[in-house]
Amino acid sequence: MSAPVVRISHLRFGPVDHPVLDDIDLTLEAGHFLGIVGPNGAGKSTLLNIVAGLIKPDAGHIDLMGQCLRRFNRPHLLRDVGFLHQLHDHQPSMPMRVRDVVAMGLRAYHWPWNRTAKSEAIPQALSLVDMAEHADADFRHLSGGQRQRVRLARALVRKPRLLLLDEPSAALDTVRQEKLFRLLRNLCDETGMAVIMVEHDIAAISSHVDSVACLNRRIHHHAMRGENIPEEIWRAMYGNHIHIVAHDAGCIGCGPGEHQHD
Amino acid sequence: MIEMLSEFIASPVMRDALLPSLLIAVVTASMSVMVMAHRLSYLTVGVSHASLAGLGIAVTLALPLLPTATLFAVLIALLLALMPRRKGISEDAGTGMLFAGSMALGIILISSASNAQVDLFGLLFGNILTISEQDRIWLYLLAGLILAVLALASRAWWSIAFDPMTAETSGLPVAGLRLLLYGLVGLTVILCVKLAGIVLTAGLMVLPAACAWLWGRSLGSLWLLSVVFSMTGTIIGLLWSYAHEWPSGASVVLALCVLFTLSWGAREAVSRLGTTRD
Repeated sequence: MSAPVVRISHLRFGPVDHPVLDDIDLTLEAGHFLGIVGPNGAGKSTLLNIVAGLIKPDAGHIDLMGQCLRRFNRPHLLRDVGFLHQLHDHQPSMPMRVRDVVAMGLRAYHWPWNRTAKSEAIPQALSLVDMAEHADADFRHLSGGQRQRVRLARALVRKPRLLLLDEPSAALDTVRQEKLFRLLRNLCDETGMAVIMVEHDIAAISSHVDSVACLNRRIHHHAMRGENIPEEIWRAMYGNHIHIVAHDAGCIGCGPGEHQHD
Repeated sequence: MIEMLSEFIASPVMRDALLPSLLIAVVTASMSVMVMAHRLSYLTVGVSHASLAGLGIAVTLALPLLPTATLFAVLIALLLALMPRRKGISEDAGTGMLFAGSMALGIILISSASNAQVDLFGLLFGNILTISEQDRIWLYLLAGLILAVLALASRAWWSIAFDPMTAETSGLPVAGLRLLLYGLVGLTVILCVKLAGIVLTAGLMVLPAACAWLWGRSLGSLWLLSVVFSMTGTIIGLLWSYAHEWPSGASVVLALCVLFTLSWGAREAVSRLGTTRD
């Protein structure tokens, strides 16, 4: 049996008396699609940054593809990790064709003798996000939603075994959101890629993901598909003032099937 | 006009200055796109002015001018690259402090070295027409080194400029590459000193890419346009310098400013035409 794609054990980030993340344990097998929900400041993006090797945790450890993530093997392990983060485009005014943006996701792009712009992987990745016809377009002239799809293509272009997504649907309309979640579900099923996706709208993702982790500094609950998340978990994460609305039965959702007011 | 051109080409001083000037134009144009992409325009101003201290140290200790200034400029650039990591000091504040402090030190050292024959005007504003054989060799070596490093690292630097987080997760050593870029900015600044001097060097490091940025549609076209604008500005500047006996460095920078103004105006006109048609 192959090693899990990700194994996080007793992870802590931040000071012991006031940690940003505390005692995080998570294991993801190949093909697993995990959603992470939680309030603002819960540490969701921090967790993704730690798994991507951008931040060093203060305690605990992370295994990627069966190997402990360390400074010296990080570049090697990250070959199999795609990451779509929240802080987009440090220099958005750079004149870039869409295919160049996607090519940047390929490690080989950074070597001058490599002609990655002609790689078949680029049109394939663009096709996955319905942007193939825009390959030669100027990235600056795309809409926010189109840019987000190109960024997703860049994360997918090297066919990662683990995909980390930080609110990928933020700039997408409802139809595109649904298409994105379906695409990710298919990639998990067909290629065995594992996905960790931070999202706020649990109703939108619940029918696509295999499990949902409820995070607010620590994982309060890890619900598998079809399992309801108890009401006290929502209140523990978001506070007692929240208004809970139930949705489709059989999906991951909140406890009672009726509106409740606090 | 044709007579003046033939005189210009026949002039041994201008002929000797043309090749080094065009080489500087190609190097600065290539670096300027990186400077723009990484938003390092102010850094080039800081490093170029700070290099006066390097020249001052060289004059005081009777060391070779350009190698000492090169070392100093690279050290200053690397110091500025590391400074943002220190809490409470932003990069622009650090640049401002080092810029003023080093320039003050340079002025004191140069003015104290009373027995030294220093062409302060040439250092401040450049004079490619007085380039020596030794300077020329130093310039070719530096230019070759800068272009070689650019050819190897430019794609990685594009990635970092566009999106440093994704570059990092692609396995690129972002911190090391950034240090290398800052060091290369230091080297390029010294390369420009002979043409444009300490005060005007930033013009050569920013204006070509600023012109190209208005028209470029891809990274390749951006670089090519930057080189074309830079070489055009250099040739026009040297022609003005020859025709009106203006200082060569100032003439080149002024020509680049004029090119930018024309380019910007043309870009605006094209945009307005496009909007009207829509």
